Amino acid sequence: MKSIRNIGLLTLVILLAGSFNGCQKFLDSELQGQLTQDSYPTTASDALLATNAAYQTTRDWYYHSGGYPILDFMSDDAHKGSNPNDQLATLGPYENFTFTTTQDGLDRWWATLYLGIKRSNVVIEKVPDIAMDEVLKNRYLAEARFLRGLYYFDLVRAWGGVPLVLTLETPSKMARSTADEVYQQIIDDLTFSIDFLPKKSEYKSTDAGRATKGAAQSLLGKVYLFRKDFVNAVVYFQDVINSNEYDLEADFVNVCGVGGENGVESVFAVGALQVEGTENGGNQYANTQGVRGTPNKGWGFNRPSEDLRNSFETNDPRLELTIIDVGQVIDGITILGDGTTPDITTDENGVVIERECYNRKIWVPGTTTISEWGHYRRLILYADVLLMYAEALNENNNPGQALIYLNMVRERARAGNPDILPDITTSDKEALRTSIYNERRCELAMEGIRFWDLVRTDRATQVLGPLGFVTGKNELLPIPQNEIDISQGALIQNPNWN
Amino acid sequence: MLYGLTLLRANHYKSYLMISIILVCGFTAFSQQQVENVSGTVTTSDTHESLPGASVVILGTTRGTTTDIEGNYQLSLQPGDSVLLFSYLGYITQSIAISNRMIVNVMLEPASTRLDEVVVIGYGTVKKTDLSGSVSSINSKDLTKITTSNPILAAQGKAAGVQITNSSGQPGSTPIVRIRGVGTFNNSAPIYVVDGVILNDISFLNSADIGSMTILKDASSTAIYGSRGANGVVMITTKQGSVGQEKTTYGYSGEVGLQMLSKKIDLLNGKEFATVSNAIKLGSYNNVDAVPNTDWQDLIYHDAPVQNHEFFASGATKSMQYYIGVGYYNQQGIIDKSGYERISFKLNNIYKLSDRLKIGNNITVSPYQQQIAPDVTYAAYRAQPLLVPYYDDGSYGVVYNVGNPLATLAYSNNENKGVRAVGNIYAELDFLKEFTFKTSFGIDGSNDKSVSFTPAYTIYNPDGTASQQQNVNSTLNKGYGDSFSWLWENTLNYNKTLGKHVLDAVAGYTMQRNTNEAVGIPAQNILRDGSSFWYISSPSYLTNTYTGIYDRVDANNYYSMISYLMRLNYVYNDRYILTATFRRDGSSKFAEGKRYGNFPSFALAWNLAQENFIKSIPLISKLKLRTSYGLIGNEKIPYDARYSQTTNVLTIFGLNAAPNAGVTYGVSGNENLIWETTQQFDVGLEVGILNDRLTAEFDYYHKTTSDILLFLSVPGYLGNGQNAKVAYNAAKVLNTGFEFNFNWKDVINRDLSYSIGILGSTLHNEVLEIGGSAGIDSVLIGGYLGNGIPVTQSRVGLPIGAFYGYQTDGIFQNQSELDAYPHSNQAGVGDLRFVDVNGDGVINGLDRTYIGSPVPKFIFGVNLTLTYKGFDFSALIQGQTGNKIFNGKEVVRPDPYNFEHHVINFWNGEGTSNTEPRPSFGGYNYTPSDYFIQDGSYARLRNITLGYTIPDRLVSRASIVNLRFYVKADNVFTLTKFTGYTPDIASENVISNGIDNGTYPVSAVYSIGVNLNF
Repeated sequence: MKSIRNIGLLTLVILLAGSFNGCQKFLDSELQGQLTQDSYPTTASDALLATNAAYQTTRDWYYHSGGYPILDFMSDDAHKGSNPNDQLATLGPYENFTFTTTQDGLDRWWATLYLGIKRSNVVIEKVPDIAMDEVLKNRYLAEARFLRGLYYFDLVRAWGGVPLVLTLETPSKMARSTADEVYQQIIDDLTFSIDFLPKKSEYKSTDAGRATKGAAQSLLGKVYLFRKDFVNAVVYFQDVINSNEYDLEADFVNVCGVGGENGVESVFAVGALQVEGTENGGNQYANTQGVRGTPNKGWGFNRPSEDLRNSFETNDPRLELTIIDVGQVIDGITILGDGTTPDITTDENGVVIERECYNRKIWVPGTTTISEWGHYRRLILYADVLLMYAEALNENNNPGQALIYLNMVRERARAGNPDILPDITTSDKEALRTSIYNERRCELAMEGIRFWDLVRTDRATQVLGPLGFVTGKNELLPIPQNEIDISQGALIQNPNWN
Repeated sequence: MLYGLTLLRANHYKSYLMISIILVCGFTAFSQQQVENVSGTVTTSDTHESLPGASVVILGTTRGTTTDIEGNYQLSLQPGDSVLLFSYLGYITQSIAISNRMIVNVMLEPASTRLDEVVVIGYGTVKKTDLSGSVSSINSKDLTKITTSNPILAAQGKAAGVQITNSSGQPGSTPIVRIRGVGTFNNSAPIYVVDGVILNDISFLNSADIGSMTILKDASSTAIYGSRGANGVVMITTKQGSVGQEKTTYGYSGEVGLQMLSKKIDLLNGKEFATVSNAIKLGSYNNVDAVPNTDWQDLIYHDAPVQNHEFFASGATKSMQYYIGVGYYNQQGIIDKSGYERISFKLNNIYKLSDRLKIGNNITVSPYQQQIAPDVTYAAYRAQPLLVPYYDDGSYGVVYNVGNPLATLAYSNNENKGVRAVGNIYAELDFLKEFTFKTSFGIDGSNDKSVSFTPAYTIYNPDGTASQQQNVNSTLNKGYGDSFSWLWENTLNYNKTLGKHVLDAVAGYTMQRNTNEAVGIPAQNILRDGSSFWYISSPSYLTNTYTGIYDRVDANNYYSMISYLMRLNYVYNDRYILTATFRRDGSSKFAEGKRYGNFPSFALAWNLAQENFIKSIPLISKLKLRTSYGLIGNEKIPYDARYSQTTNVLTIFGLNAAPNAGVTYGVSGNENLIWETTQQFDVGLEVGILNDRLTAEFDYYHKTTSDILLFLSVPGYLGNGQNAKVAYNAAKVLNTGFEFNFNWKDVINRDLSYSIGILGSTLHNEVLEIGGSAGIDSVLIGGYLGNGIPVTQSRVGLPIGAFYGYQTDGIFQNQSELDAYPHSNQAGVGDLRFVDVNGDGVINGLDRTYIGSPVPKFIFGVNLTLTYKGFDFSALIQGQTGNKIFNGKEVVRPDPYNFEHHVINFWNGEGTSNTEPRPSFGGYNYTPSDYFIQDGSYARLRNITLGYTIPDRLVSRASIVNLRFYVKADNVFTLTKFTGYTPDIASENVISNGIDNGTYPVSAVYSIGVNLNF
């Protein structure tokens, strides 16, 4: 009896074991609490989530030229800032063009732009296969292609031709495409976006901040401007203006300030919450530049230069709204500044070379760093569109039209004071060009625009040469050394950087 | 089929106790009746010879006798007599219940190591003589000699080739165990197999419950654990009532001890600090004799008690064996607010259901709680002696930059609590004579919760303003964790002896699943500070309002395994031994197609002692030559490295700015990952001389680990983000070593015996390949100090985690010397001179070089025992040489901190010193260099114990089988040049090993204790 029972038990166990054995699914343990890439995105709501995520890269600290505003450091508008020793070795070299292929921040910027591209590619590659409303699907695709264009535009301006990653199946060894190929891709992406993106007014209020037709047109116009294709540039800027979706803020302080978030002048901007931490919805861009010391608004990087200060016309109200000086009172808060930063730095001849001051454009009312995290970084402003339009018109030998748009910007800057910033009236192409350039500098100062303006208008050698700019080299940044090394020869460094 | 509960007449209070225990556990009982006379024969279990002169005593009385020349005895009994106690010097005392028998025959087992000692190996046991692999066994008595919450610590200095480091004195911390070097950049810890259940940690076990510990080292013994064997295997069996032990043995062992800081770090006192400060900045202190002098170390460390108690009952009836134990361990830290408390319940049973079938269980349930001290060790090291702990009004003094450690202690609260249950239930069936089938279902489950709370507080400057040491809002962090794994193992044993052929084979099939979840919730502004408000429900502000919360919720470590295993052990004529093992493991950690790994091993051994030409040499009692080769794996890699996961982000849209959820692709995984595989070759020799009075064992091993998983940098255009790393199988590491173990034991006479054991192992660790074709990472950087500066680089040709930094070459004595040598523009006269290693005339990062290895070249242990009459004495000396320690705590100096004492000999003019630079509060001289490298060699008197066993005749009247008192001391004395607290500096992270960042010191423990069996 017993032995029969025992054998029965044995058989049962063996059968049990056998049944599990056959079931290799036991080892197919699914990842818990996490989607994997082969099962996402597959639904209409996935498509929305994936599209939302493609925007997030613009709020990544590294998206902003690797974290620190090195584009301004490299221009004549700004110094490194903070106290003299802070990040001296890592950021100082950008001021005088002594930085190297391993300089701090280059790899961060490079990698993060491609991070945004990958996220855009998730939408571009996967969403077409999702069964969903076609209009919405095309909008998502257009949003993603707008963003991909935006990311590539930074890449091509910073480094020239870069590896063109357009799918999710990226080979681990890639060579650089030419700058022309990259630009062509950007143009293709933005053209698609223009076709399928809604106008700003067509979005629900909860969707404010998404890419719009106007944003895509503005960006494409800008791309053509950088290509010196003024004929095409004019076409797209004109579309933006004719759309009647945009206008200048009445008050300059609102252009980059809290009052103008999602405002009439904001063509494309990065939304943020006033909370610390990127993962919580904050943006460290302004915290990086906020007033150092008292009030403690941030680290105080990106210090406006004396040259920038002096470039403003007499009594230009924009000066005070561009540079925060120590002692100033803003929103009822007295700016005392930083104890470890000299108020004034002079050269051996007693000439002031640096004054403790801060970027006013990123100011968010309040006395803490937390409010700074909520700054909306404006990536495209209507004023920029108007000035680019004016510039392109002038290049197309239409100074009369150009003057209209240039003077629109000056009129707003005047803030009703008839004694300052008189209308420009010259119809001389050269003189008007200079006026437009000057206007761009003052209107768009400290927004990371100046350096690339100088390069694209071939003025960098003349303006930045004295600061150390080397023609034939510094127009582009070096490909981060890490990337060259990892590629094991597949990526070729930019000229004169080896 | 289970036996019913039958309670018969019990005539003894201990039986009542026993019965209540049995009642609680719901098992069986026993019966006793009276006879008038009892007789029998006492024989030895090893030689089966009769034992004359053995003592036979009736427990609870002084009545007894000794056996005659034939080993026979006869005793008349009185009512109440129930148990006989048999003892003989050199043999294990046995207590046998008379149980209504007229004849009670007994076989006594020798107490010393027997020739046919059985060794526990994977999925079975083997006679030591038939063992072909390399293993180290640790005597269970030695396991309780060290006062510790983690039994593995007691193996320190007891097993050749095994390095155990108690890296932190924080009560309840886990020691770091490395068996035969470090063969991976990933988890290098061994696995523990407790009664067949495979575990990663044994902190739940009370040392007193352990019956045997065996460490498997070579491929032949570890390959049966396949993908989990590469870091070595620690086999543990817990105690069980032994067959024939019919009278219940009750035992109590308890000890109380006092822990003390074994050594203070020699820091500058107030006057010396003022002197050095004046040298840095003239006139800092006008009168160095009139400055305060606070010894911060004295303030944070204090002697602290530790106690450990274990009570057990064990025995056997015809149909069952049982061991029931309960242990209590309580250790308070030598720093306030640290401690560890654990209760361990142990229940082991075997039920013989029929001649062929038995079922059993081994269960441990251990609730614990741990208080974790804030890091004040480092603060006490840094705090200037000129600052006072309290101001005159009793408030905390401000300690600039580091915070007042006493205030930190007062305001920090960190506690973990939980319960861990480990156990298995099994059935074993013998059939067709030679076969045994065993199925065992085991679990390892734990539930843990953690709480940390810091109230809002501010330490004020003397002028009434707030200092930096403050916490604006009270903060509470709660964590809940749950982990569970089950393991189902089925094995079939075949055992056949046919003349000179002995065959022992086992085949098996096992399945395992592991799950683990954790949630962490941070909150601020708790209503009240008391611990009764340390709940999230206390109205509070949950920090990290959005995705932050997701980062703290984790469902991880969900993976499964299926394994097939087999072993064949064939012995011919007691001389030639062949062992072959094979295991095939499949793990969900790898993608389909890469999922299975095969781990074979082979071993040959030749028992030369059985050959006539050796038998003719009377000196030699044992001689065995053995060799093994095999493949073993390491699957301790992140379970999700192969998956390309998605990631959750937020985007802000809307006129009323609102977070919009986003989900996108995260870092790519690598579907092509495979197992890390170790090839190990071992050759060993075992020798016994003079009837095994001298035994010796020698081993040489050569271990190469390939396909080591590394996280490598990948091109940025793949879009994984800044610094994203992807796992690849991309490194190879070599470990070789020579191990020896000598034991001399001698019995001088009935009263006096002694033994000396010496063991040691050499270790050579070298990176053979790194990065490979996968990327640029031909160097793996690690050892990040508090200031973010890395001090280790693992490179081809160097040991894992080699220290990297500048080499120094004296001090710049004068300006012309400074001018003549290449130097950093920060260097001045009186500063350290860094060597221009690459000779390019410039001192820069390229001149950093290999400045020492954290891996010891030699590990050793010396064990001494001496028994004289009732006294027993033992000592253990243990240590290592050839490794370096990077004194990381001295390097990180962003602010003016106190100094180690050697700084007082600073350079103060040409020729005054060529080793100590001019003093500075930080900067150039604190660049990581060999100036901070210290010799990590040490020899330590790990334990010294003196015990006295009360003679049988005095205690047997009280029904006591054994009563021993002892005093002992752990970590009494350490011989080392290292200036830190203890040279026990190690890290689980193998590339950040041997760096002293100011850890909680390991203390010396002085204890008294008692062992009582009745």
